[in-house]
Amino acid sequence: MKEYFDNMISGIEKSFIGNRDGVSPRKKYALEILKLGRRLYSGENPVAWCGIAAPFEILNAMGITSCFVEFIGATLASNGVVGAFLEESEEKGFGTDGCSYHRAVMGAMHRGIVPEPDVLIGTTAPCSGGLAVLENLSRHFTKEFFILHIPQNDSEKNVKFLADQIKGMIEFIEKKTGKKLDMDKLKESIIRSNETRAVMDEVYAMAEKVPSPAGGRDLGNFGIVLPLFFGTSTGLEIACAYRDEFRARIEKGKSGVSGEKIRILWIQNRIQFKNPVIKILEDDFGAAIVVDELNDITWSAIDENDPFTGLARRSISIPFNGTIETRIAHLQKLCRDYRVDGAINPCNWGCRQGAGARGLIDEGLRSIGVPVLNLNVDCVDSRNFSEGQLRTRIEAFLEMTGGKRQAAD
Amino acid sequence: MAKNVDNISGTAADVLKRIFVTAEKAAAGEGGWGMEEKKYVGYACSYTPVQLIEAAGFTPYRILPDGDNPDAAGGILNDTICPHIKKILDRAIAGDTPPLAGTVFMNSCDAMRRLYDAWLRIRPDIPSMLIDLPATTGPAERSFFRGEIAAAADKLAGWSGHPVTDDSIHRAIGLYNKLAGHLVQLNALSLKGMPYLAAGEMQAIYNKAMTGPPSSAIDEIIETIKKPRENKTPPGRVPVYLFGNVMHDPEMLSMIESCGAGIIMNDTCTGGRMFTEIETGSGNDPLMDLASGLLKKPRCARTIDTANPAGIAESLANDAGKYGAKGVICHVMKFCDPYVLRLPLIREIAQRERIPILILEGDCTMRSMGQQRTRIEAFMEMLG
Repeated sequence: MKEYFDNMISGIEKSFIGNRDGVSPRKKYALEILKLGRRLYSGENPVAWCGIAAPFEILNAMGITSCFVEFIGATLASNGVVGAFLEESEEKGFGTDGCSYHRAVMGAMHRGIVPEPDVLIGTTAPCSGGLAVLENLSRHFTKEFFILHIPQNDSEKNVKFLADQIKGMIEFIEKKTGKKLDMDKLKESIIRSNETRAVMDEVYAMAEKVPSPAGGRDLGNFGIVLPLFFGTSTGLEIACAYRDEFRARIEKGKSGVSGEKIRILWIQNRIQFKNPVIKILEDDFGAAIVVDELNDITWSAIDENDPFTGLARRSISIPFNGTIETRIAHLQKLCRDYRVDGAINPCNWGCRQGAGARGLIDEGLRSIGVPVLNLNVDCVDSRNFSEGQLRTRIEAFLEMTGGKRQAAD
Repeated sequence: MAKNVDNISGTAADVLKRIFVTAEKAAAGEGGWGMEEKKYVGYACSYTPVQLIEAAGFTPYRILPDGDNPDAAGGILNDTICPHIKKILDRAIAGDTPPLAGTVFMNSCDAMRRLYDAWLRIRPDIPSMLIDLPATTGPAERSFFRGEIAAAADKLAGWSGHPVTDDSIHRAIGLYNKLAGHLVQLNALSLKGMPYLAAGEMQAIYNKAMTGPPSSAIDEIIETIKKPRENKTPPGRVPVYLFGNVMHDPEMLSMIESCGAGIIMNDTCTGGRMFTEIETGSGNDPLMDLASGLLKKPRCARTIDTANPAGIAESLANDAGKYGAKGVICHVMKFCDPYVLRLPLIREIAQRERIPILILEGDCTMRSMGQQRTRIEAFMEMLG
């Protein structure tokens, strides 16, 4: 696997040489993700497999190469090789009704391509499935794991409970890896994370503009994957690359989607394997995905002198935690801020926490005049993907949404 | 019982609209149960501190996934969510519950959390709460859970208008401990044929205990034990350990028995795992007793022992051996992530320990169980 990442990295780096138009932020981002993949396999540093809501600033400050497990499923899908791993998981008894991000991890584990972790850090948000996967990894690699229970709301009591757990997590990592957390390094990490947060805020503010400088692919998986780099200079550089690119596009009067006609909110995660959705949206309808659900700053800057409280508050604040009422209010806010015409919910097959309230989300957005298209696709497993069916549904939705927009104009 | 959802079909928006109208009718008492005194507080998960509900002066009423209400919940949540949850929500939509003074939900898994969300939307007339439930059982988590239970006690006191005191909690723990002890005793006597109770009969008693006053269930158990009955233990039954989450319908258990199984332990959250004794020896803090006791009870797959990952599979193998089972029937809900993602481990460890295991997926209906009859019969033949 390391060789695979080496080859990919070298290919992208070569493409950067002599590129007069500059390197797109998306490519820079992809390169850093590949480098993270290489680090996971390099054996240079201890490795942590985590849940999505883990405080990556701490892990990065401790020199632990860390990643959430769903990354494996997404990477295998985006490279078009996930089928074999899903089949492996099915052979091992994991039913096809489960989340395919997680089933892909189980298949990869049984095929021996998941890098052995030194520590495992589970988080109860966003889902029960992620914890079950970490428990399976824990047993497979005979490594004990630590679970951060993310409370449902940010009452003082809950924040303190989670902050104390984060301290417990550090003790656990120190014991398991022999690496001590240097509090000065953590302070630097938090400062850099706050800087990244501020730049991300600028990026999102620019994406809100009409027309938006964001193209459909630009910010896909951005808000969910960038936290892996929180606290590092890489994270800050990626955010800055996006900010500079969007600023330049706005100055040149260039929108992400030429002749933007329809503005779309994408709910939850993108479809990870190669698919025609963006092409249909942009080429056939001038529709731009201007915002993804997780592309938002839901937390305050973290006090570097009291990092655990701020980190706890941030983990509690992620839109997938807490009640659907909170999540719908957040989606409604995004709809208003970005002036969207419609929303697309992929309703990832097997996802209980995200797709499990499809009807309530639908109702919540319709109540503010935003129609929702529920696709009911599997975002990782490409084996049952039906392009024709998807195209028909998207076309019908966009014709209706576009018609409404024209009537309003 | 309520059948006031006529025909839920049409576009997604139409379906939702009609569901909400139906639920409004149910809230207005058109669900068939009338508007009698609200003495019940509903709950849906075996981790619920029923003792607190009792201490507040209410009768805990487990909203079992019963009834043949129209399938409407999938339109609000998603079709691919746990059938246990969908059936409970279908009951709420159709008004198919007794008048409830409130409902208590546990944050035990994604599906339960979503049930709470939908319940709030469907039945805003019923005050409801969600109690956060840690995934692990260490001292910090027990203390956190104690805080959650304390907050729940305050809310229940608000609903009832009576304070929930340490004494009343102590008394309620005592009452439920007595119930748990009597259920264990009844099960043990039944296995010896003194008197023999068919698994379906035993389940009916569990259901009564989950949906009515614990004192009534205790009285019934005492009467059952005392009542002279002929020992009708069927000969040639193969001892089987039943494991899983929800199997509340007595008919389902009867069906398994009719295939030649003698269910020696019903280790499900609607059976033996529902009522377990709470230790009260930790001083004068009944809330901590309750928090510790609930977290320490035999685990649902959603609760994790980080020092012993997949401990649930090891426990199952040990318990099946301890009870002298010749095999395990593991029945889980379709789309239940906590169980479904641990089934391969459960199977692997059972195989390692040479315990034959049959894994079934269900949807709370006899229809789905009926389809499994041939597999159960074949499994019993193999064990026999």
